[in-house]
Amino acid sequence: MLLTSILCVPLIVGLLCLFARPHVLMEALNIAGFATVLVLGVKLFQAVLAKNGGAVTEWSEFLRADALSAWMVLLISVVSLATSLYAVRYFRRDLAEGVLTARRAREFYVLTPTFATGMLLVVLANNLGVMWAAVEVMALSSVFLVALYNRRTSLEAAWKYVMLGSLGLVLALFGTIFAYASAIRPAGGETMPSFNWSSLLALAPKLNPQLITLAFIFALVGYGTKAGLAPMHTWLPDAHSEAPSPTSAMLSGVSLKIAVYALLRFHILTTACLGTGFSGRLILGFGLFSMLLAGPFILTQKNLKRMLAYSSLEHVGLICVAVGLNSPLTVFGALLHMGYHALTKPVLFFAAGNIHQHHHTLDFRRLGGGLGRTMPATALVLGVAAVAVSGLPPFGLFVSELTIVAGGVTTQRAWVSAVILATLIVVFCGVLIKLAGLILGKARADQPREQLPASHVAAMCLPLAALLVFSLWLPPSLRQLLELAANIIRGMP
Amino acid sequence: MPANASETGSRLITLLASLMLVLQLLVVVQRMLITNIRLFALQSLLLASIATVVAFAYGAWHVLVIAVLTLIGKVLFLPWLLERLVRRIKIEQELRPFVNMPASMLICGALTVLSYVVARPFTALERLGSNTLGVAITLLLTGFFLMINRRKALTQVLALLTTENGVILAAIALTTYGIPLIVELAIFFDVVVAVMVLGILVFRIRESFDSMDVSKLNELKW
Repeated sequence: MLLTSILCVPLIVGLLCLFARPHVLMEALNIAGFATVLVLGVKLFQAVLAKNGGAVTEWSEFLRADALSAWMVLLISVVSLATSLYAVRYFRRDLAEGVLTARRAREFYVLTPTFATGMLLVVLANNLGVMWAAVEVMALSSVFLVALYNRRTSLEAAWKYVMLGSLGLVLALFGTIFAYASAIRPAGGETMPSFNWSSLLALAPKLNPQLITLAFIFALVGYGTKAGLAPMHTWLPDAHSEAPSPTSAMLSGVSLKIAVYALLRFHILTTACLGTGFSGRLILGFGLFSMLLAGPFILTQKNLKRMLAYSSLEHVGLICVAVGLNSPLTVFGALLHMGYHALTKPVLFFAAGNIHQHHHTLDFRRLGGGLGRTMPATALVLGVAAVAVSGLPPFGLFVSELTIVAGGVTTQRAWVSAVILATLIVVFCGVLIKLAGLILGKARADQPREQLPASHVAAMCLPLAALLVFSLWLPPSLRQLLELAANIIRGMP
Repeated sequence: MPANASETGSRLITLLASLMLVLQLLVVVQRMLITNIRLFALQSLLLASIATVVAFAYGAWHVLVIAVLTLIGKVLFLPWLLERLVRRIKIEQELRPFVNMPASMLICGALTVLSYVVARPFTALERLGSNTLGVAITLLLTGFFLMINRRKALTQVLALLTTENGVILAAIALTTYGIPLIVELAIFFDVVVAVMVLGILVFRIRESFDSMDVSKLNELKW
């Protein structure tokens, strides 16, 4: 009942928050719920390792978790927990300042667990159709999170988010149905073939190759839109910058990767049917384009959260490039990168949230500089996280990026590594120049000093501490899980 | 199964599918919102009848579920919901679209040809009707065109729904027996919830912008 309880806990929390009366109770419920999911996630991780490459299944294979799913469950639960811890003071301050009504704050505490449930169902569902529906649940439950402040700009962002997302999902549904149709003949006769991913994979060599090609292209564009791959990324900076910071952290920290996960399931199926070349090359292409596009936008960006959003675009691009290169080292690096990025990016959005609440703007020019003096705690956290996200040692992103680049050199496409390095350097310069100006520069005279309670700073630092620990010491069991997951992606169980 | 029944069924399906295409083109040239909603309801009714024909002619009773769900959801409930929304926000007519009507018509004609070319290699895989897949892809592409071309938020929602009709049509054409029940139910509820979410959002946009003209949503750049 492990998988079922992982799905039920956040769902129940969401339902309870509909009725929970005092505000404190909703906060506590969210934190407790996500902590429980994390514990269950760790249990699942052990269960998957115990099966050594096998999958944990429930409800006659309706729910299925292999190493890849277990890894994603861990990412979802960690980011959700960190977010719910940070959200406590964030929303209390918004409520105190009257920026947000109590009703809207309740919306956040109801919709965030629903959002998480959607993501968990994406990674635990075996049926491709149910997986699609879960992505839609995830998309729809986050629309009102993006529009939470009900400003004109946030409504605009929410509209773009939901329209582009729905368009993408229609395409993904086409892809899903083509994948199902491709199984009809090999399964034979009048019976309906199973729509389960695992049974499609078992049939893979016999699937109709034309339909699978079409299915993959539709799924790539469809789920690629949700993953924010360029050129379908246009909703991404808007939604990330207009959403309240806890939601931006969830969107950027995990939801993009969940869409990549959905795409990976199709990639594995296509590889098993058509061989390695086709789907890998397409993913590589979209990934490279996203990376190349992100660089200039980061360099010229005027808004802190939009810059962070473009940095997410670059990281998702890198993950896709690494998967597309399809060597053991790069795929392992991609999975590792997902984890480290999930621990880093939320912290940056948390810091940005503090800055926004303190200065009521995110515009670099209006902020001026000297945050180091006016908001020392936030500036320190922002600085450390920025160093981590630009891939400097001792933080893990350095290791994962190095793994990917080194892995890339050993493949046939060594030039890709050169391109990756070049874009990483551009982004590195962009992020550090912008943030150095913000943190170090001269402070404007009229700015008040921020007062942060220690508990809030601790909540912000928690993911960073975890990042540092896992950067210096990757537990052997986690390493084993990632290797198993990498084998699944490369189609070698 | 008598061969005759299935042949008649196949012809009926082709006929109904082409009527769906005609309705789609009418939506492209129609500017009154209420009429557009009714055209969409009619198109969904055709989809439901296709599902019914499949169910009877091929003994695939399973597909009847699609027919019933489409009838309840897309023919009755969603049009009712959208019409109520139109009355509440008191905007009944679409502004001038970005591309004028004759040019839109030409573009949609080109898109139809393109879809048939794309669907050609797959016609052999179709188990029902002929060129139903072509119609499905046309619905998808013209739906996209509608979304780009229209300014009103509600028309964009309608365009999205017609693309959804295209998906279901493709599912029926390619698989005969439809898709597993759980997936059908999931898709159905997702579509209904999606339209409700979009409706609330349209309402909120209308309140803060005094308009539901999406070309006014242009403050966020880069």
